[in-house]
Amino acid sequence: MATLALKQLKKQYPNGYKALHGIDLAFGEGELIVIVGPSGCGKSTLLRTLAGLEDISEGDLEINGKRVNELEPAERDIAMVFQNYALYPHMSVFDNMAYGLKNRRTPKDEIQQRVSEAAELLGLTELLDRRPKQLSGGQRQRVAMGRAIVRKPQVFLFDEPLSNLDAKLRVQMRLEIRRLQKRLKVTSVYVTHDQTEAMTLADRLVVMNGGHVEQFGTPMALYDQPASQFVAGFIGSPAMNFLSATQAQTGLALPCGATIALQGEGLATGAELTLGIRPEHLQVLGAADALPAGAAELEARIELVEPLGADTLAYCRLQGQSEPLVVRLDGEHAVAEEQTLRLAILPARAHLFGADGKRLATREQATAAIE
Amino acid sequence: MRYNRPGLDIASHALLIVGCALFFLPVWIAFSASTHEMGDLYSNVAPVWIGEAGLDNYRQLLADPVSSLGADVMTLLFNSMLMALGIAIGKIIISVLAAYAIVFFEFRFRKLCFWLIFITLMLPVEVRILPTFKVVADLNMLDSYAGLILPLIASATATFLLRQFYLTIPAELVEAARIDGAGPWRFLKDILLPLSKTNIAALFVIMFIYGWNQYLWPLLITTDADYLTIVVSLKRMLTTGDGLVPWQDVTATTLLAMGPPVLVILFMQRYFIKGLVDSEK
Ligand SMILES: Nc1ncnc2c1ncn2[C@@H]1O[C@H](COP(=O)(O)OP(=O)(O)O)[C@@H](O)[C@H]1O
Ligand SMILES: [Mg+2]
Repeated sequence: MATLALKQLKKQYPNGYKALHGIDLAFGEGELIVIVGPSGCGKSTLLRTLAGLEDISEGDLEINGKRVNELEPAERDIAMVFQNYALYPHMSVFDNMAYGLKNRRTPKDEIQQRVSEAAELLGLTELLDRRPKQLSGGQRQRVAMGRAIVRKPQVFLFDEPLSNLDAKLRVQMRLEIRRLQKRLKVTSVYVTHDQTEAMTLADRLVVMNGGHVEQFGTPMALYDQPASQFVAGFIGSPAMNFLSATQAQTGLALPCGATIALQGEGLATGAELTLGIRPEHLQVLGAADALPAGAAELEARIELVEPLGADTLAYCRLQGQSEPLVVRLDGEHAVAEEQTLRLAILPARAHLFGADGKRLATREQATAAIE
Repeated sequence: MRYNRPGLDIASHALLIVGCALFFLPVWIAFSASTHEMGDLYSNVAPVWIGEAGLDNYRQLLADPVSSLGADVMTLLFNSMLMALGIAIGKIIISVLAAYAIVFFEFRFRKLCFWLIFITLMLPVEVRILPTFKVVADLNMLDSYAGLILPLIASATATFLLRQFYLTIPAELVEAARIDGAGPWRFLKDILLPLSKTNIAALFVIMFIYGWNQYLWPLLITTDADYLTIVVSLKRMLTTGDGLVPWQDVTATTLLAMGPPVLVILFMQRYFIKGLVDSEK
């Protein structure tokens, strides 16, 4: 178990490309941290600087409070699981797992014992004599994990370890990794571009964008209080809807003509901003229902229906809006294309983002002031 | 590819058999000649069947110095073997290390180093033979095994082939080994060499035969019969001045000279073919 601290960590590649622009993060003992972000945002770079496979250009990396910038990967007491597993093709499963221990001059009987323990844990006992070529994708993945586990390192690093597996296996291995990590209580950093994987695995989540950390927090904190429009759009599936809005005397004016009793704090009247609302937070109103206080009322025509079983997604067209508005309805809702939905955006459910993409503090307009 | 046409099968087998026979015929004639006495060879037309003197001929060649050479054939075989092994093993050691450095290490002028090695492909011994001779003479290595082996030991071909193979090894494998605590030597010994086993076996066969068949270089730098190689001696056995050429000795020596390369190929065949067509990865 270990704590991990990154202080103003910067990375510039030899070709001059700046991949990380000053990362400040601190991870606690036994936490499972997931780093998520779109492809090319520097996730792997960050993980590889943690591993010591890439030099740190500026800033400090501390494991258990000790600066490790200059240590070789093997001296940092970390283990890494690679996307393509990187198993030694000419070695048996046993030797693959034992190799790191052999290099550390671990006594033979201890190697034997640790490998069989890990094999037991991962269900590999029957396969110890096989070569990687003779294993399925999921089994190779397990061997790669076993190789990390037997070393009993301070930190596990995972770089998209599940992205070469099929969907079903991915879900299964995801659960297994989570269970294993909780059981071994080893501080882990897990990189993925898949937000579902990130949400389900993480104790805390780092969302990265363009070499910056956008937000760091628990999955639910990021879901409830996204710090930026980028995080809001990245976390949650289907993604949050964004509507352009203008600050008016009476609240926020939406392009379709509706008004919501909300104000972006510190914004002048006439300022442009973005309102975000999650598909699952749009409230469907019956024809006779009264509009909840302060809510904006939208008339949306359904263009496409995606039944998912438990839920149904309706892609709607909204006046004055080019992007379709996605509404998540529960599965029983009978809707058809071309039908018009009456929707409400409740002020408490709306997120506001300024022109710079940062979250705005909101102030609910007293309903009385409208009248 | 297999075509399901019996006619094609028979025709291609017939062709192959004729081809084999054609190639085998000279070997057979050499063999039958080597089992006759010299007198027979000069009094009759070329013999087709095995004669009676075979065992004596071979025993004599291997044990007693051949008059035109000053060394027995056993010594020649030993010298050739030493030279061929020295060249093959030396080439492999040097090119494994050179390719390893070029592919896996970052250093200044890495590209330049590679190209410098590469252009030596265009400079075989025959082209640089005078300067090389001068160097070897200055180093007092004329008439020595070192002189036979060392100038031929660098190999751009092998370096290039190994480099191509090393380039196909995924970077993650190298990184995994680094994390597993394998330093550069361990990585070479535990991972790279086992993975390139078949490639190295194939190179060994090629390089052994290359070394075994050296003619011009040993001819040039050895004058002492103790360092004579078998390929060079074959030519020398033919120049007997006024006397008759002892064809039974020449053919026997030829067959003996063919032996080791054939054995090496037979022995390494499995790896050799595997090394040419696929690898451990
Ligand atoms: N060795 C390298 N040299 C130069 N640029 C690199 C190198 N490796 C990655 N990059 C660049 O750094 C950025 C981040 O890459 P990476 O960390 O691999 O992204 P990802 O988030 O997809 O894992 C990318 O734009 C990539 O092109
Ligand atoms: Mg990546």
